[in-house]
Amino acid sequence: MKKHRPPDPPERENKNKNKLPAHICRAAQEKGLSTEGLISACRGDMDNEAAYHDSWLFFDDKGIYIIRGREETVKRPKKHVSPEPSVLIDKIEAIPADNIRSLNAERYTSTGRLIMSENSEDIPLTYFSLGLIGDFDFFARAFNSYKETGEIPEDDQPGKEGGKCKKCGAPCPPGKDYCKKHDKNKGTAVRLIKFFGGHVRQIAVIIFVMVLSAAAQVLVPQVSTRALYDNVLSGGGPLEQSLKALGTLVLTVVGMRLLNTGLTIFQEYLSASIMPRVMYDIKVKIFDAMQRLSVGFYSSKQTGSLMDRVTRDANNIYWFFTDGVPRFIIDVSMLIGILIIMFSMNWRLSLLALITTPLLILTLVLGDRLFRRMHHRVWVMHSRARSLVSDNINGQRIIKAFAKEEDEFEHFSAVSDNVKNAEVRLGVAEATLFPLLEIFVLLLTTLVLGAGGVMVAKGESNMTTGTLLSFIVYVNMLKEPFGFLAWISNWWARCSDSAQRVFEIADAVPDITEKADAVGFENLRGDVEINELEFEYEPARPVINKLSLKAPAGTMLGIVGKTGAGKTTIANLIARLYDAKSGCVKIDGIDVKDLKLSELRRNIGLVSQDIYLFIGSIADNIRYAKPDASMDEVIAAAKAACAHDFIMKLPDGYETRVGAGGQSLSGGEKQRISIARTIIQNPKILILDEATAAMDTETERNIQRSLGLLTHGRTTIAIAHRLSTLRDSDYLAVIDNGTIAEYGTYRELMTNKGEFYRLYKIQSEALKTIGIGGEEEKAAEENAEEEHHE
Amino acid sequence: MSDSIQTISPETLKSEYVSPENCEFFALAHGFLGARIDGKEYKRVILSRALPLTEPDKYICICDVEKNELGIINDTSVFPEEQRKLIAQELSKRYFCPVITEIKSVKEKFGNFYFDVMIGDYKKNFTVKNLTKNIRYHGEGFDVIDVDGNRYRIPDFKAISPKSRRNLEPYLY
Repeated sequence: MKKHRPPDPPERENKNKNKLPAHICRAAQEKGLSTEGLISACRGDMDNEAAYHDSWLFFDDKGIYIIRGREETVKRPKKHVSPEPSVLIDKIEAIPADNIRSLNAERYTSTGRLIMSENSEDIPLTYFSLGLIGDFDFFARAFNSYKETGEIPEDDQPGKEGGKCKKCGAPCPPGKDYCKKHDKNKGTAVRLIKFFGGHVRQIAVIIFVMVLSAAAQVLVPQVSTRALYDNVLSGGGPLEQSLKALGTLVLTVVGMRLLNTGLTIFQEYLSASIMPRVMYDIKVKIFDAMQRLSVGFYSSKQTGSLMDRVTRDANNIYWFFTDGVPRFIIDVSMLIGILIIMFSMNWRLSLLALITTPLLILTLVLGDRLFRRMHHRVWVMHSRARSLVSDNINGQRIIKAFAKEEDEFEHFSAVSDNVKNAEVRLGVAEATLFPLLEIFVLLLTTLVLGAGGVMVAKGESNMTTGTLLSFIVYVNMLKEPFGFLAWISNWWARCSDSAQRVFEIADAVPDITEKADAVGFENLRGDVEINELEFEYEPARPVINKLSLKAPAGTMLGIVGKTGAGKTTIANLIARLYDAKSGCVKIDGIDVKDLKLSELRRNIGLVSQDIYLFIGSIADNIRYAKPDASMDEVIAAAKAACAHDFIMKLPDGYETRVGAGGQSLSGGEKQRISIARTIIQNPKILILDEATAAMDTETERNIQRSLGLLTHGRTTIAIAHRLSTLRDSDYLAVIDNGTIAEYGTYRELMTNKGEFYRLYKIQSEALKTIGIGGEEEKAAEENAEEEHHE
Repeated sequence: MSDSIQTISPETLKSEYVSPENCEFFALAHGFLGARIDGKEYKRVILSRALPLTEPDKYICICDVEKNELGIINDTSVFPEEQRKLIAQELSKRYFCPVITEIKSVKEKFGNFYFDVMIGDYKKNFTVKNLTKNIRYHGEGFDVIDVDGNRYRIPDFKAISPKSRRNLEPYLY
């Protein structure tokens, strides 16, 4: 039996980017194309006209081959055997390697295109979906590298990998291994239950207590209704005997209720002692995992979404296990108990009651689906309104400065109106459907009452008035467990969704990992060397391109360039906050990838323009890198960073609380604290990333002085906008589009009158225009001129 | 004052606009586009829209392959028809977006939205996370962006079948 294959590949052949799936190789060989010399391959999904079409590309020594065709799956007769893919080849294109100068994967808005350069001409080879850009970029780089060096790059491609269901190959969201069909979340349930592993005995007791409590609830109508009618109200015996029986009944009912309440209290007491411990374990696990993850993970996720995982998602799990699971156990036990009792009382009447229950369940499920959509709509509207309020509060200064209060109010009114409308619709639907459900249950009970009444009237042996009335009570009691069971799947879906997000963090493999045989520094000198470095945050969008630089130990290397030229990325790569795509950063001749991360980071001090102070005192912030630093060390560092004076003017001095909710400090003050923090760290290599970019001239001069002390005897990599601040640099590099545009000493670059000189001129003229500086710059220029003449 | 320091005003911006008088596009081999601007010939130019969702035919930047801006087309309608065709061809390649012709189903499971759609006669499945963020409205229709960054377009939501609309409507706000 043949059927058209699903559009996505049934095998994860891209897992190994250098291979083609066996059935493609077979089909190619049948068409006379040998794949034996294959060096690298990738799969495409479009043709050269951007129409969806299966294709496979590979190259060998002789050239590039594009196989275009259609993949099909042949269903195997047995269910457990996975479908076997086959391919119908339409066309094979072969391009001799000699004709190709280079390959390039270009990124468009929603697609990508593989372009081949042939002498002075660009020739498009194929389009592909944007999701495949990582694979195509790797393929292009592999080809270019092989053509140049005879080898293909060893690095793995960045970006999204896979995203295909392990079972059927259909697409699935990042962080998931299965598509919607196969995502049963068994793994999630098992993993969640494992958190309760340390409390097995208490959980067994809780479940036993719950079942007991359910049994007590189910038995109550037997006494309070059936026995009351049959033994007391319609007994016909002497009054004294009836009163005695009534007393016994009342006492029994009270006893059962008390027992039920006692059991519930005991169960909640036990749950209360377990759940906080389990939640503690889950939150600690998430937080611990978050500390191990690299900067790239945080850049790709919003802070709010990560905060949600520690708080909201953990709470979703908490409430499901605190409220949902106990209710589930009680309701299932009650349902079983009620059905047993009903059938033992009268099986015919029980069947009659059950015949209509599927209708009840169906109504509940459909109603739930409708409400879920409406609730979702309300939730979206609320979240829009919340975002707007948050935006408004954060942007109050700008709103007032632009006198936009009226507009903002109107915008909020419109969004609030949508919230109101969504809530009204939901309210109306709920107010209509719930009474309808009640009518449905009423009809059911009336039906049972009618049929049961006939049985009682006929005097059927096991049908008494008491039995009938307790039957009615049981039919009514069925409504709650059925309703809950129809709804709990959604609750579980929410909990499971939260759990998956939690596990996504716990399972995330950090981009930056330490090698098992990572080495430390024996006697760090601080030589920094960058070789042929290439880096990109997204596939086919290079940020650093074949960049090489050197900063010998103890020297200062200044890096300048336009915004977005890649300066900060270089700093991040030296500190190994990201890993390069190719090339390397070496410290004292050792690749940073071979170094122990703790040792590397301990020896690199980073003063960035994004200053972050943690919640705590100023002293705590200064001694962040060295918690056991004495107060003498803290004050000395603050003095060296020109921070001591302003700290002493604060009422609480070094004990002033800073960070969120603490004392507000100016940008310059915060920066000085961050410099003091780095002075205490005492790193051998110092990276100053636009450290004074946001400062006024006087503060900048003060900070420059403190930085001067800090840089002494260390290898310093200084990134700055203000070029005059880099005059003390031993070497200067001008970066443009991720590559070196100019390199040399300050004087050399001023004399050469190249890119650095041009930037310098623009800046000094701009400063003169606004009446700042100029003299220093003029003197420097004259100096350079003199040297040039000499 | 240096050339680089100058104020850009709507009037000075107009000097960067190209017109049929100083700009001519021509087709290159293999479907690429070249241009002659102020008498200078550029092999392979790249066009990008400033307002791709709301004004796809206005404010189009012309760049060379090194991404240096060569000029701005304020409105393509001032160009002769043949030139407009060349511009449209280049833009359609760069902004190519598969058009959804039928929505067979949209299912939500564990916070992900699984789309089963037809693009012409090609059956396509894709997954979207966070529908509020990944549906970009424009005019009568919208773009849906999947987890890989692929875009799929519904140019006019009212023009697709009622069944398709019913499948997606509950998730559109």
